[in-house]
Amino acid sequence: MATRLQFENCCEVGVFSKLTNAYCLVAIGGSENFYSSFEAELADVIPVIKTSISGIRTVGRLCVGNKNGLLLPHTTTDQELQHLRNSLPDQVLVQRIDERLTALGNCIACNDHVALTHIDLDKETEDMIADVLKVEVFRQTIASNIIVGSYCTFSNRGGLVHPHTSIEELEELSTLLDVPLVAGTVNRGSELLAAGMTVNDWIAFCGSDTTATELSVIESIFKLREVQPGVTMHEMRKSLFDSFL
Amino acid sequence: MRLEKCWFCSSTVYPGHGIQFVRNDAKIFRFCRSKCHKNFKMKRNPRKVKWTKAYRRVHGKDMTQDSTFEFERKRNRPERYDRNLAENVLKAIPKIDKIRVTREERHHKNRMKGKKEKLQREAVKELEQSISLVKAPSVLQQDPSLTLPKIKVKVSQKQSEENHAMEE
Repeated sequence: MATRLQFENCCEVGVFSKLTNAYCLVAIGGSENFYSSFEAELADVIPVIKTSISGIRTVGRLCVGNKNGLLLPHTTTDQELQHLRNSLPDQVLVQRIDERLTALGNCIACNDHVALTHIDLDKETEDMIADVLKVEVFRQTIASNIIVGSYCTFSNRGGLVHPHTSIEELEELSTLLDVPLVAGTVNRGSELLAAGMTVNDWIAFCGSDTTATELSVIESIFKLREVQPGVTMHEMRKSLFDSFL
Repeated sequence: MRLEKCWFCSSTVYPGHGIQFVRNDAKIFRFCRSKCHKNFKMKRNPRKVKWTKAYRRVHGKDMTQDSTFEFERKRNRPERYDRNLAENVLKAIPKIDKIRVTREERHHKNRMKGKKEKLQREAVKELEQSISLVKAPSVLQQDPSLTLPKIKVKVSQKQSEENHAMEE
């Protein structure tokens, strides 16, 4: 089930929030609207935490995490680190890493089993990812873009990649990640998927500019819609994919 | 807010002081004052500049390895806040400081051990070698002691008269 929302009139929801299966990080906004949209859906299921990272509100792009852990850049202040550690459940390992590329959310895309990383990432960081997030790490490009964390987003059930990804690359990635992938856009044709939306296994949040077509693609690939018996769903999906690819 | 260390001299940089330089490879250099900043711009190596902590450590003037330094290390994996733990840590900090200071003093004392004897030996040697600067060799032959004789000076009575003049 996908929800449309805005952060202070900006449709890039994935920039200001980080959603995983075990927790959700939200930026501190002027009004509580953003936070309350997340809270309305998630409050009794997973903790929703308001935070900044090194004083910056674009938490979605600076950190990376899954249900096993959370990785933060070295610029994170001690107070923020402590706040996150106190608010997150104990199974989630919070770790600050020393890495030249501090925008970890733009460099690393991950779900609970696999991670795709920027090519120029340090070896120690790669080991740290495998250790803290408990994932298998692959260095990849997506449609010749090295910042994989922005141009693709995937959960344990499905994934969305840059619209200009070729079919061969799509199949290669799909076998690597073990999830079905589709090339799509968000927020009226924006290629930056991870910046425009945030998703976990049962819910997705998109920018309010997202068209109905994009929303239905998202709902189908991430398997967010309740399973409807019958052919109509199948036909709808086929027609959507045809018009897209 | 975090109290950082100056890259050049290793002193603490308090908020509102110093300059931070970020190089193109994203390495951050923090300086406590313009003295350290200017030395850095001159490409001086802190390990060769006498007044820095780096020099003192490398040349054995200050303690290098000690368990008290482990407490001040930067940690990247935080622990959940526990009030008792925080209280114990706050109580322990001055104790650890005291221990570190005593250990540093001990290190200094060890380093300075044998200084007194060395000075004594040097003084004796100097006396033997350079007594000619003070006492002529002919006089030395008559009186072979290396110390100067005591000269007694008689004080005259005129001084009391001078004082009266001053007091008026």
